[in-house]
Amino acid sequence: MAAPPLIRGTDLSKVYGTLTALNNTNFTLMPSEVRALIGANGAGKSTLIKILTGAIAPTSGTVEISGTPVALGDPRAMIRNGLACIYQHANLAPDLSVLDNIFLGRQPTSRFGLVNTKAQRSEAQALMARHGIEVDVDVPVGNLPTVKQKEVEILKALALNARIILMDEPTAWLSASEVTKLHETVRALKSTGVGIVYISHVLDEIFAVCDTLTILRDGKVVAETDVAKINRPSVVELMVGEKLARDSAQASSKNRHPRGTGEIGLSVRNLTKHGVYRDISFDLYAGEILCITGLIGSKRTELLQTLFGTVKSDSGTVSVTGAPAVFRKPSHAMARGIGLVPEDRHRDGLMLGMTVTENLALATLAKFLHGLFLSSKGMAEAARASIADLSIRPPDGRHEVGLLSGGNQQKVLVGKWLNLAPKVLILDEPTVGVDVGAKAEIYGILRRERERGKAILVVSSDLEEVLTIADRIAVMVSGSLVALHDAGAIGSKELVREIGGIAA
Amino acid sequence: MNADTASRASNVERIKANALPLAILVIMAIFSLTEPAFLTPGNLVGIARQVALIGIMAVCTTFVIMTGGIDLSVGPVLAIAGLVAYFALQADLPLVMVIFAGLFAGALVGFVNGAIIALLQLPPIIVTLATLSITRGAALILGGPEQHLIRDEPAYSFIGAGNFLGLPSSIWIFAVVAAAMIMVQRATPLGVLVAAIGNNERAAYLSGHSTWATKVLVYTISGTGAALAGIIQSSQVHTALATYGPFGTELDVIAAVVLGGTSIMGGNGSIARTVLGVFFLGVISNGMNILNVPIDVQLIAKGTIIALALALASRRQ
Amino acid sequence: MKLRPATSALLFFTALVFAAFSVWAPRFATATNIENLMSGFSFIAILAMGQAFPILVRGIDLSIGAIVGLAGMVVFDLALIFHLPGYLILPLALLAGSLAGALNGFLVAYLRLQPFIATLATLAAYRGLTYTISGRQLVPGLTTTAITDPWIMGIEAYFDVGGWLGLTKWVNMPWIPLSFFLMLLVFALFQVLLLMTRFGRDIYAVGGNEEAARLAGIRTNVVIVLAYTLSGFAAAIAALIMVARFTTSTEALGTGMELTTIAAAVIGGVSLAGGTGSMFGPLIGAFLMGGILLGLTLLGISQFVQQIITGMILLAAISNDRLLAIRRRPKLLAISSGAS
Repeated sequence: MAAPPLIRGTDLSKVYGTLTALNNTNFTLMPSEVRALIGANGAGKSTLIKILTGAIAPTSGTVEISGTPVALGDPRAMIRNGLACIYQHANLAPDLSVLDNIFLGRQPTSRFGLVNTKAQRSEAQALMARHGIEVDVDVPVGNLPTVKQKEVEILKALALNARIILMDEPTAWLSASEVTKLHETVRALKSTGVGIVYISHVLDEIFAVCDTLTILRDGKVVAETDVAKINRPSVVELMVGEKLARDSAQASSKNRHPRGTGEIGLSVRNLTKHGVYRDISFDLYAGEILCITGLIGSKRTELLQTLFGTVKSDSGTVSVTGAPAVFRKPSHAMARGIGLVPEDRHRDGLMLGMTVTENLALATLAKFLHGLFLSSKGMAEAARASIADLSIRPPDGRHEVGLLSGGNQQKVLVGKWLNLAPKVLILDEPTVGVDVGAKAEIYGILRRERERGKAILVVSSDLEEVLTIADRIAVMVSGSLVALHDAGAIGSKELVREIGGIAA
Repeated sequence: MNADTASRASNVERIKANALPLAILVIMAIFSLTEPAFLTPGNLVGIARQVALIGIMAVCTTFVIMTGGIDLSVGPVLAIAGLVAYFALQADLPLVMVIFAGLFAGALVGFVNGAIIALLQLPPIIVTLATLSITRGAALILGGPEQHLIRDEPAYSFIGAGNFLGLPSSIWIFAVVAAAMIMVQRATPLGVLVAAIGNNERAAYLSGHSTWATKVLVYTISGTGAALAGIIQSSQVHTALATYGPFGTELDVIAAVVLGGTSIMGGNGSIARTVLGVFFLGVISNGMNILNVPIDVQLIAKGTIIALALALASRRQ
Repeated sequence: MKLRPATSALLFFTALVFAAFSVWAPRFATATNIENLMSGFSFIAILAMGQAFPILVRGIDLSIGAIVGLAGMVVFDLALIFHLPGYLILPLALLAGSLAGALNGFLVAYLRLQPFIATLATLAAYRGLTYTISGRQLVPGLTTTAITDPWIMGIEAYFDVGGWLGLTKWVNMPWIPLSFFLMLLVFALFQVLLLMTRFGRDIYAVGGNEEAARLAGIRTNVVIVLAYTLSGFAAAIAALIMVARFTTSTEALGTGMELTTIAAAVIGGVSLAGGTGSMFGPLIGAFLMGGILLGLTLLGISQFVQQIITGMILLAAISNDRLLAIRRRPKLLAISSGAS
């Protein structure tokens, strides 16, 4: 009889309020298997990973490790069973040294219970030598740049000598040579019988190191196969869903409005912030959707922050509908008709504990003022209009925003800025963590606002999205705008090359 | 994860919505059954009069706590406002100016608190701890350690000790202040902004709001409220004294606010419920006094009640 | 352990303050005054070091003064009502303080109450408990009875260290109180615990990033309970020193200490954001505050002005803490943080 799988997850479900993040999912991992786990944002990957690391307990379902059921929602049980995780965002204690972080929670101790720094140090040095990573082990982790923190995170997981390693976007901050090294490590681990779950958005990596593939969509497994038996287009189609792929193909074939009405909404000239972005120039026209795309870290968000007045530029000019503009804070930008839907709706966008009505009114409170007082009637009416207009569900302004699904939260956030009736609407990754249906609805809203003559600037790293909604596409590579195309005139292949900084 | 905490929050919300009024009724029922003297009009007015000072301060500091802040400096502000009013009386200023001077002293301390906290982004606990010390020192320099008797000032004495339509004037003032603040919370942009800042300060700023101006304003309101309480107290007892509002006053005030369901982490809260929190504590201490419960047991009971109420209501995320 | 820049800045500032007072304040640099400083602030330093543990795990202990009162009353009762020998009273008092601290930790870790609120509630409860068990109330005659047990009174001893070393021939040396040595012992114990054991690493991990600590398999709740227990333990030691000094205890023993100790810890670089600081800072912080207060008194500056100056020092300390935090923050974060 064959050895039992390293992991067998059965009927795993996780329900958050009204949102089902994971729906009766089964998951197995064999020894010496590298299994890719992919899916669009919000497909349930993180939820599955969190269940496997013990960070959260599933609503229902069981997990067996090497044939033995384990206690769920308890990180200690998972670690004891030989499971380690390289987290997407470094999960470290900032004031402890690199050394202490690598051995977090299990520092070797000598007599009298004192930490044996020597043993720690030699083990860490051996580990770094083996995996070709170099970090000063005595610096507090908080002082390291993000890339180095990621390396510490990797070391921390490897130091556990685990039988199962989860890698949640392990290469997100790494350079090409470091990625190669990591992949060598993956292969070496595999040859010793370690099972690896590999999560990545970069399909190249998956085809390079993974044996098998699990695709999640909307909390369900939609495909489970050997990597050798599937090609890229099918993977993408399975990830985004056929209907959306068809819709987007349809929408993209017609209905493009490069340069919209021909009237300039926002004009940017030679905008530079030293060490961040440089010499950015473009015009955004009323009645068009201009997408800026590029890798994470290409400084797109910082550019948007300058356009909205939260980050100062060093030189260059911005003008709105022909008149020069200097913004020192968001209210200045808003006064000139600019609205910004931020990327992280929980951190920067919404008041999760407040009602839909209040959230919708928050950028436009002055509208509802009668003398010193706010008209709650006016607010409720405006909210009803927005809810109908954007089909926010449930259609009740008195609901707390925190209780809505991701997609409806995003619609509330978009609605808040539409209420401002901005001339220029900027959206940073408008559909992150939003389900497919809501995604299509948000695209519909953006197209409608474009027809209404708004100048719309979208920053997105989701190529599918860019190709779906853009009238024109700008590509940003490490702080520079390197190309600006009419959307009909460029295919995804060329775009991918440009984004990667490879000259065509 | 957020959806999860939110749904749990809504259950907690439902419990919170009814627990406090119910608890007050249950406790009042117990007290009136064991001691008939409890449920007499005289005693009930007595409770209201006892809680008026803490009540005014609690109502005025609720916004501060909703923004995620705290104001520990209310005790010495209460003292210094009484002293300022006393010296204004000595200078034969008209009554309006006397009250204004007292309130201004409190508003000033509150303004300084808010300005330091908002502009330098320092932790409110420590900033107001420092201004607590500074204000107490200033009060002692101003008034010295001795009592200043306020004699033959009938108009001033009416503020705290007078009667209007059969009720002590301090109750009326508490009622008016509470009503005004409830109004501010429900019907003005400030109410929405305070909740917004407590919920998500970054998002409030990114929605075009001046978060620091709002913060400065709420601390100023808190200081002014404490000053009003100070004026009423000095008028009630015909004395101004630099050590009024002793250490512990601020804790009573905060306890009332938090019992009212306002999260100490900021965000959601309600001034109307703060009033309930004030009466809850007032009823308990009055009932225990009537039943001759010794002071030590009262302290333990108070601590236990706060801990229990919070275990139910304001759990850490 | 290398000195962090913040610590050396604090040391430098403290030296500057002491030097200034030595020049301008009459009798500041005398044996008597230094003796006063050591006997008057050693127990404050112990409390500040205890307070540092909850702050390190991103909490706070407002009940620390009330625990001092409680432990003091336990000593009073055991000595004067139950006539227990001192060698039993000492451990029992330490146990009482530790248990009170552990309860705080339990409320914070397991009931997940806000530390500020939880310890605010226990502040009232412990003070109430102190009144309840007060031998002064239960046995009225005891109010004026002094505690004479040699084990407890032995804490209020002074050592002529200068004399032993023969230094007194050249300079007038202060007699060093036992409480100062106790303080040094507590410092050594806590510092070793914090910097050299796994428990210490866990404290920093929990304070710096509780979720990361949990995912690394650290029992975060146990760590939090122990942090508050140490705070209660320190409070009990301080109570013993104070009872020995006054030869009695009162229900009000330790009132207001929570604010002083928080101030000393924060001045000493223990960040309220958790995870930053060590025992050295609170120690220096306590004596810096003590030096300033004594110096001002010697300069004839009134108690009232001293309160104002104490407040100002506190403001300066947190402004400095804030500056350091901003400088420590990685650049990337500084760029993306929009709210001002």
